[in-house]
Amino acid sequence: MRSYIIKRLLYSVIIAWGILTITFILLRVGPTSPVDRYILNIAAKGQDVESVRQAIEARYGLDKPIIEQYLLYMGNLLQGKWGWSFSASQPVMELIGSHWIYSFQLILLATIFAIILGVGLGILSAVNQNTKIDYATSIFSFIGISIPGFWLGLMLILVFAVYLGVFKTFYDTSYPIWSLENLRQLIMPVLALGTGELAGYVRYTRSAMLDNLRKEFVTTARAKGLSERTVIGKHVLRNAVLPLVTIIMFDLGSIVFGGAYLTEIVFGIPGLGQVSFNAIFANDYAVVIAVTLIGTFMVLFINLATDLIYTYLDPRIRYD
Amino acid sequence: MTELKPGQGGRSRIPLRISHRLWGYYWERLQKNRLSLVGLGFIGFLVLTGIFGPLLVQDPQKTDFNILNLPPLGFSIQESIYDIKTNEITTTMIEGRPEHPLGTDSKGRDMLAMLVSGARISLLVGLLATGIAIFLGTFLGVLSAFLGGWVDNALMRFTDIMMTFPFFLLLVLIVFIFGPSLAIIVLVIGLTGWTGAARLIRSEALSLRTRDFITASKALGASDTRVIFNHLIPNVSSLIIVMASLSIPGVIMAEASLSFIGLGDPMSTSWGTILNTGQHSLDSAWWVAVEPGIMLFLTVLSFNFFGDGLRDAFDPKASV
Amino acid sequence: MSKDTLMKWIVTLVAVSMLLTAAPGCSAPAPKVAGNYIEGDVSGGEAETLNWILAADASSFGYVGYTLESLAGYDNKFNIVLRCLAKDIEVSPDGLVYTITIRPDLKWSDGSQVTSDDYVYTMNNLMFSSWLNYNYKDDWQEVVDGVKQYVVPAVVDNTTFTVTRKSVQPEFVYTLYDLMPYPKYIAVKYEGNVDAFTQAKEFNNLSYTGNLGPYTFKEWLKNDKFVLSRNPAFFLGKENGAPFFQEMVIKMFGTSAVMQAALEAGDITQCGIEPQNVAKFKKMERINVYTIPTRGYNIISYNQRDNGWEGLRKKEVRQAISMAIDKDTIVKKIYLGFAEPAYSFIPSSSPWYSDDTVLKLGVAPLNSKQQAIEMLKAAGYKYGKNGDRDVLLDKDGKPVKLLLVTTPGSDVVESMSLLIKQELAAIGIDVEVKWVQWATLIRQYMANKVPGSSQEARYNNGPGAVSEETWDLTLMGHSTDPLAPSGSRVFFASDGGLNSFGFFNDKVDALFAKIRSKEGLDKEDRRTMYQELSRVISEEQPVDFITYSRGNNGFQSNVKGIEPGINMGYNYYLWHFE
Repeated sequence: MRSYIIKRLLYSVIIAWGILTITFILLRVGPTSPVDRYILNIAAKGQDVESVRQAIEARYGLDKPIIEQYLLYMGNLLQGKWGWSFSASQPVMELIGSHWIYSFQLILLATIFAIILGVGLGILSAVNQNTKIDYATSIFSFIGISIPGFWLGLMLILVFAVYLGVFKTFYDTSYPIWSLENLRQLIMPVLALGTGELAGYVRYTRSAMLDNLRKEFVTTARAKGLSERTVIGKHVLRNAVLPLVTIIMFDLGSIVFGGAYLTEIVFGIPGLGQVSFNAIFANDYAVVIAVTLIGTFMVLFINLATDLIYTYLDPRIRYD
Repeated sequence: MTELKPGQGGRSRIPLRISHRLWGYYWERLQKNRLSLVGLGFIGFLVLTGIFGPLLVQDPQKTDFNILNLPPLGFSIQESIYDIKTNEITTTMIEGRPEHPLGTDSKGRDMLAMLVSGARISLLVGLLATGIAIFLGTFLGVLSAFLGGWVDNALMRFTDIMMTFPFFLLLVLIVFIFGPSLAIIVLVIGLTGWTGAARLIRSEALSLRTRDFITASKALGASDTRVIFNHLIPNVSSLIIVMASLSIPGVIMAEASLSFIGLGDPMSTSWGTILNTGQHSLDSAWWVAVEPGIMLFLTVLSFNFFGDGLRDAFDPKASV
Repeated sequence: MSKDTLMKWIVTLVAVSMLLTAAPGCSAPAPKVAGNYIEGDVSGGEAETLNWILAADASSFGYVGYTLESLAGYDNKFNIVLRCLAKDIEVSPDGLVYTITIRPDLKWSDGSQVTSDDYVYTMNNLMFSSWLNYNYKDDWQEVVDGVKQYVVPAVVDNTTFTVTRKSVQPEFVYTLYDLMPYPKYIAVKYEGNVDAFTQAKEFNNLSYTGNLGPYTFKEWLKNDKFVLSRNPAFFLGKENGAPFFQEMVIKMFGTSAVMQAALEAGDITQCGIEPQNVAKFKKMERINVYTIPTRGYNIISYNQRDNGWEGLRKKEVRQAISMAIDKDTIVKKIYLGFAEPAYSFIPSSSPWYSDDTVLKLGVAPLNSKQQAIEMLKAAGYKYGKNGDRDVLLDKDGKPVKLLLVTTPGSDVVESMSLLIKQELAAIGIDVEVKWVQWATLIRQYMANKVPGSSQEARYNNGPGAVSEETWDLTLMGHSTDPLAPSGSRVFFASDGGLNSFGFFNDKVDALFAKIRSKEGLDKEDRRTMYQELSRVISEEQPVDFITYSRGNNGFQSNVKGIEPGINMGYNYYLWHFE
């Protein structure tokens, strides 16, 4: 077991290195320059744009050969230096440190919301198979997975903020994270982000439940005279949880720079998604690489965690 | 239905090319799923719209500054204009007009024409990018399974890297660096979206490789290419079809998301770009954000309905 | 300050004070310190750095300006308003020596006095240094005998220093007004090490600003908010207790729609308002809307280089096209009235503007499509039929098709390019609009070099150089300096670094040179030169100057002390809640 984990960790590092290298090359071979955005402003003040460009690129070491930049970056990284974000004028880690909480709370709440409701509806649907409840849930889950989250966000703002005025049209960072107002203003973003996930979980829970309901141990349990509640809760659900864990974990990994980012944009939440995309538009490679790596490690870690949870939930599985 | 169960494990399918009768069988099964027929119907309608629609409506880029923000037919909005010269505010009721049944946007472009153009773009991107991804995935999956050894190893490690990459971040990065055009968007989605297909096809191919009919044809002296094209590909074709139909909505959503954050092809009108405009006029012209979202939603929903039905039809096990 | 401007200054002051006291039932009580002022801004307008000497964008100087005053500013009539200066800068009669006297009560955060040595150090050791590469160093350089060199600052005493030039540049004084100091006692620690300087905590947190600004830095959450606290020690607040807000916040929004909704809901104090929403906000009693001139203008550049349509190299053709594009229509349809026609890079708000000399193309009576067609015919072009339409033919008898390249993202620019397409269709010119990203526009369309040469692509490599891609028209937004418009030589002089459209005119070059020489020292003479320059430019039409936009600013009506105008924020530290 231990050697398995070590092996996996080593492998993770190699994958992360591959991703880092690809990102670095992509960023530095492109034709764009961080100075692009400022050209008109520099020119409007009567400066020679080209010499300003050269000066700025020299200041951030972007004029060196790409291989030298790469080695320099790697060298710093190995010493734990993540570099300086020239678009935010801050150490990269400080920038990430002040923004991650906004993504984290959103994703956490959305996931909890999706799991609780999704699993609940899925069970409801499965135990009432082929009834009206089942069909309604099924249609709802189809709608849920098909509705674009960012559009749902826009519609929520349109109805509840613009027309009804129940919520603010934007996310207000002046409320402390641990306050009721903050929780309240996260309702719409959580709905926008969580609905898609929720619908997915309904479907997975339902089919996993149905799969297990047909298995022999259920029949045995029922034959033993156990109550339906115990059968569903203790036997069926426990076995159905396993595939669900994978799905939830996978979602967690992919959501940060996907759905969560779009939700952040729509609601103006200053999370990591926003940070990374602004960095892309500013050619701020130190930030882009750092957030890509964080995303990567999260996925890798989640994969490993999933495998380990598996062995815990199902002792039959062993990794060697 | 059990008498027709193809293969042993239930995971492999009878080659479609060989049995024409099977097509009829699958079609019959598909027909039983009413929702998937509805989905198919809507997809058919979209395809027709995409092909012939642009001939029937005006140029989606045509502007008319006399009819800015015209509401859809049957709706009316109050509009106040401030005259800077006379310092007077005039308020008028603006009603939808039959020549612009779905209204116009802030530049006086016809919403109907733009939505039709968007249908074309969405389908084009959806089909082409999925085509590229599935082709690549199949090719690499089969290659990996058949060549084995270091090729398999290298390909699968690369697949791991690509799968771990935060997908949307990579998309934004490449599209930003190389400039947003439809070709780039299609290529990037296609070139990054093959990983799932490659893995699935590889494992399918691996299990097929050990099966009797393949061993037999190899013993009879068939070349690898022959085995691949005559036996393997036909055997995984139904899997490919299901995979394609289920991944199209994701691709359409990815294009819409890119356009929504301003990385769409500026030369063409897609639903995402309209949504982007709509986000900016959420307070003054709700329909610009509502209409393309509904189209996007219905399209994704239809593909999900259809893909789901298709999967059920091809997979006798999943008859629930 | 001349007697004339002094009079204007007094008149304005009187008028303002009358306005302030004339409000019914209001006896103008002394303002109290209360509340937070929240200004809305749209993402993309956020500053880059607070270490301003490294900044390339305009917002950075704006952010820093809250905590650190420059030497002087301007009111809405471009009258000088002293800030760190004790009195106006004295210029020697020969126009070469500038004597600057700063206030004696300026303090750094450690309590030490801000001295002329700090200013001279900032110039000599930071702005003019080679290790730091100040982005705006061109402003501080002059060409003497063909060699670029820096102006020479020197300390006279604790509060006085001089800056000496070798050549006369009458508008250099405006550059001086903007000068801000770095604290020498901190900066010496980082001198020579660009990385250390860039990352210095003191500079990035503005922890040195002492009593130099009405506010001090508190917090900056990127893409979200920039927060400043009231600075009770502010040197201009000793008598009146200014500033009057507890906090000053700049809040970023994703879209202006959301921002305006926030203003409507009372969540923010002030923000820009888009033309179509002005009426809505004007009707609200809680909101005051001020319409003010801005420095921004839009131009269509005519590609006069070898890879543009050859017709564009003729003045008459450019005039005809400019005539066909009706500026009143653009003002009315796109800006809903909140703009004014532009005729040159000198806006009507500039003291150098002359209404009588400019050729007003694109505005009645010079907006006739028929006349434009006649002019094109007179320039030697014929019309032919394409289907049932009359189209302009080029020399080979083929219909003229122009490629207009522009960037997506701005509503105004998008609408305008589509409108221009329609306007030019009316004189038989087919325009194809091509949207490209900004990075593409500057690299493939603006940058140019002589084909086959080993030149490095720049935005103006002289006659004979062409861009990688062919184009005929580009549409983009620029900004001008109403006080020193000669900065626009970068676009219109033959050696201008951004003269990407290839306009080479000796007369224009000579006029720019004359304005920036001894001959321009006298203001009246300079006015005559600017009059002549705008006449020549408006006749030559190197670009079609389209419109100067007017900005609309919405304020919660309980904000008092605002003077609407082009430099509306000049007295912001006196604003207060009712």
